[in-house]
Amino acid sequence: MRQRRLRIVAATAVAALLVLAGCSSNSATSGSSGENGGPAEITFWQSQFEPYQQKWFKTYVDKFNASQTDVKVKYQVVPGDTWQQKLKAAQAAGTQPDVATTNYGGIPAGVTNGQFAQLDGMLPDKAWSDIKSNVAGFVQVGGKHYAYPMLVEPSTVLYYRTDLVKAAGLDPNAPPKTWDELLTWAEKLTKGKVKGMTIASVAPDLGWSSWGLQYNACGHLPINDDWSAANAKDPCYTKLFELYQTLFQKGWIPQQPKVGYPDATPYGQGQVAMMANGSWAVGQLKQTFPTMIKNTAVAPFPSVDGDPGKPTSTLGGWTLTVDAKSKHKQAAAKFIEYLLAGDPAIMADFFRQSGFSKYTVRTSVDQALASDPAATSDPFMKIITDKVVATGKAEPAYPFDVSLAFATAIESVMKGKADIPAATQKASDAIDRVIKQQRLKGTAPKG
Amino acid sequence: MNRSWYAPRRLLSYLLVVGIAVTALFPLAWMAISGFKSQTEVLRTPFQFFPDVWQLDNYRLILADPAFVRAMVITFAGAVIFTVASLVVNSMAAYAFARLEFAGKRLWWLVCITPMFVPAMAILLTSFVVVSKLGMLDTLAVLIIPGVAASAQMFFLRQFYLNMPAAVEEAALIDGATRWQIFLQIFVPQSLGPFVVVGIASFLGYWNSYVWPVLVVSNPDLTQIMQYLATFRSARGNEWGMLMAGSTLAALPTILLVLIFQRYIVNGVRLAGLK
Amino acid sequence: MSMIDTSAQPTAKATEVTDPSGTSRRRRRRRRARVTEQAPQHLRAHLTAYLMITPMVVLLGIFVVWPLVYAFYLSFFEMSFYKDAEFVGFDFYKYVLTDPEFYDSLLVGLKFALMVVPTILVLALLLASFLATLSKRMAAFMKTTVYVPAVVSSVVAAIIFVFIYQDEGFANWFIGLFGQGPLAWLNTATTALPAVAVPAIWLGFGVSTLIMLAGILDIPESYFESAKLDGANFWQRTRYITIPSLRNVILFLLVSGLTLTIQEFQLPLVMTNGGPVNATNTPNLYIFNSFRDATPYATSYSLTAALLLFIVIGTISLIIFRVVSSEKSSDA
Repeated sequence: MRQRRLRIVAATAVAALLVLAGCSSNSATSGSSGENGGPAEITFWQSQFEPYQQKWFKTYVDKFNASQTDVKVKYQVVPGDTWQQKLKAAQAAGTQPDVATTNYGGIPAGVTNGQFAQLDGMLPDKAWSDIKSNVAGFVQVGGKHYAYPMLVEPSTVLYYRTDLVKAAGLDPNAPPKTWDELLTWAEKLTKGKVKGMTIASVAPDLGWSSWGLQYNACGHLPINDDWSAANAKDPCYTKLFELYQTLFQKGWIPQQPKVGYPDATPYGQGQVAMMANGSWAVGQLKQTFPTMIKNTAVAPFPSVDGDPGKPTSTLGGWTLTVDAKSKHKQAAAKFIEYLLAGDPAIMADFFRQSGFSKYTVRTSVDQALASDPAATSDPFMKIITDKVVATGKAEPAYPFDVSLAFATAIESVMKGKADIPAATQKASDAIDRVIKQQRLKGTAPKG
Repeated sequence: MNRSWYAPRRLLSYLLVVGIAVTALFPLAWMAISGFKSQTEVLRTPFQFFPDVWQLDNYRLILADPAFVRAMVITFAGAVIFTVASLVVNSMAAYAFARLEFAGKRLWWLVCITPMFVPAMAILLTSFVVVSKLGMLDTLAVLIIPGVAASAQMFFLRQFYLNMPAAVEEAALIDGATRWQIFLQIFVPQSLGPFVVVGIASFLGYWNSYVWPVLVVSNPDLTQIMQYLATFRSARGNEWGMLMAGSTLAALPTILLVLIFQRYIVNGVRLAGLK
Repeated sequence: MSMIDTSAQPTAKATEVTDPSGTSRRRRRRRRARVTEQAPQHLRAHLTAYLMITPMVVLLGIFVVWPLVYAFYLSFFEMSFYKDAEFVGFDFYKYVLTDPEFYDSLLVGLKFALMVVPTILVLALLLASFLATLSKRMAAFMKTTVYVPAVVSSVVAAIIFVFIYQDEGFANWFIGLFGQGPLAWLNTATTALPAVAVPAIWLGFGVSTLIMLAGILDIPESYFESAKLDGANFWQRTRYITIPSLRNVILFLLVSGLTLTIQEFQLPLVMTNGGPVNATNTPNLYIFNSFRDATPYATSYSLTAALLLFIVIGTISLIIFRVVSSEKSSDA
């Protein structure tokens, strides 16, 4: 009896496996026809961001699909934490998407690898001339276009609580200009359980969030312009190391951050009086902590010596790229043109959805927003546009290993594991090793 | 045993039960209760166990989302097939390695045990290439079949079979039973406890898998429960209330299963009924 | 006790079977019959055995061995999926093996495993022994309860423990009772790794306890009864009956626990992101970070690092196998 039941179970299981294996064969060849009269089907992968972004993409992909019959876009959201795995696996198997979100920093390396289709001629000239001059270079390699930009987001902006600033006897209309002033503010604003500020404190976050401050301190990144040797031991970095070190060791920033640098929750919950964060934090504050907005002001992150003309931020952001192996490049380009480069109202809607926490890359979209009272009355947008985006630098195109090596030096100094000379020596050696192993010498993009 | 310290012993035993239960259940309770909190409340310092205002929105929104229900059903179905299939495949191999002698046994043992030490990262890309070459992408099969043969599970069952006294087989062989009969009629019924334990682990493994489904499935109808929950996560602020409520609901089926099947983890009936 | 162990080592004399020499059919049959009478557990049943392992071997072959061999093959190239992959020989092995951070991460992984696995083993053994003494209803409740942590996702568990380690959190309140602290648990080099190990133990002890319990329940009752008659106390029974009888189960928990723990990734990612200064940078977190770039180099490098991790885990497991089984023979 028992034996029979077991046999049945076993037989059922085997049968189920066979059925499952059989199922697989019919859906193997999905998608991309187009030759036989039907629409060209293209796949589009979007790296997952804030919920409103997914909504915006979904809305306009649907509208695009409904508006014409030549191209059909299959839209898929991919979680950010598995993006690289999924994309690389798909590339290895040849199932990668026709269109994908790519960040500015990833473009030069991708072009070197032959990963992106060249887009000149596939989008109309006026689409290219619409791109603002400070961003135009971000999507070009060797004078050719390989991506169409969507937005820029400065990586580092200073947010502060006007009510707490007043209570501490400081002037909310005169935010700190120099790093020394910032330290003074942080000290005065640290009261009981409320810390003076938040800023990145672990290497993987410091790696990218400190680029702007590296430029600010030294005018260069810890590598030569032609990527031939490390340049991490430049004494001008001392001030940078001391900034992070003082904030941490004096206890003016949380010693055990609950969330990573890009998450504004501690500020939103009133646990800190100031916050260094990207412009996207504006969106999070508006959506999740709306009551905090009236007591919040923004300012460019202070400069090492008070010179407001020096960069404090890199401009990150996203573009759409077409895969070099796509069978439907023209169809893909048509979709990108519709979404990012066509009717300015579409992108204007995106920036509105974002709570103006991201910045335009096209003159025509600026014009569309200029008549939008929601945009012109936004308390943060003008300061960030004029004082942060204007001085912002492009994200470095070198491998993240370089950034991580320097960030590890910053963290070591912060947490007392090494002094500045020892930490920078180690970073310098690590960067030199990256240069040698990844053959970076002479591959820096001309810009 | 003298009675005078019997009572305190029982009390101690109860205290221990309560202590363990609190330690084990506290985080689940916190997760479930956080599901009733608003977005901004979950991460608030200082720590607060109960919400200011109990609100049902998170649970209501999730339960009303057809994508959630679909993900639960499809993941559950997949997990059941997966668990049964892996018990069949692995217990057979476990029996062979524990109780039979055959040519090349050491070699085959190596082949079957080595995969246990392969980090998922090492074969992630190439596994994907393999399943895509086999035309398995975007099917229920690709979620289930690649993980069915599990070295750890086989190893575990083998360890149990090794413990079975040799007398068991001797008696049956003398009675003229075949190896299959011995396996199905003696070993399998005698190892229900281990089967349940290992089956629960398999079920949970399938239930919690995340990276593999993200890689191989793009059809929304096949979205797995952990993929669904990941939509509430982002480096720029998680939707904590939803994540907590969703995680709680997603944990219920697995807890229920243990509740049902724990009764089989009992004293072995080994040797009973054998001559 | 030795009775249990005899079957635990099916002596490998397989060569006898395959002997194709000119022994007459009758003689062979007679010999087999003799074998059946003397030691039937050694009866050779090739065909049955092959049939039994075939599904497993085939599935592992397709979904693990093939990808693994392919991965090793790829590790000799700098793989671009757009250009011809460039053959680079052992370059990537050299790069990984000369990176001090790779060794640091291995060390972190090993330390982490050493904190987690033995603790889980001891806890599970004690807990399972305790559960085995409970009444049926109580045991039913407890079997479910100890398992509950396993269903909590590691992301949620990580966040819960981040709270516990906050300045005003439970951990600091607790050491405050002894006049210590407060400590920045997750941001101090010496405490960060143990602090991450605690949730790992918490998540893992339930399943281990059930496994241990299944093992304990498998020990014939009579062993314990006779030991009790001899006046053995709990510790003596554990030392002389439970642990030796559970050796097979413990070997499993040791090897599988080590394999899983050394690869822990989610907990340090959420709780510390590898900090402070790589103190909790486990091998998989290290590999994950080296996978961040979209370059062919990053792909090949992380793949090679993962393959080397495989070799490390395999080697350590092999040593454990050796040590545990040699202990067994010395005992017997």
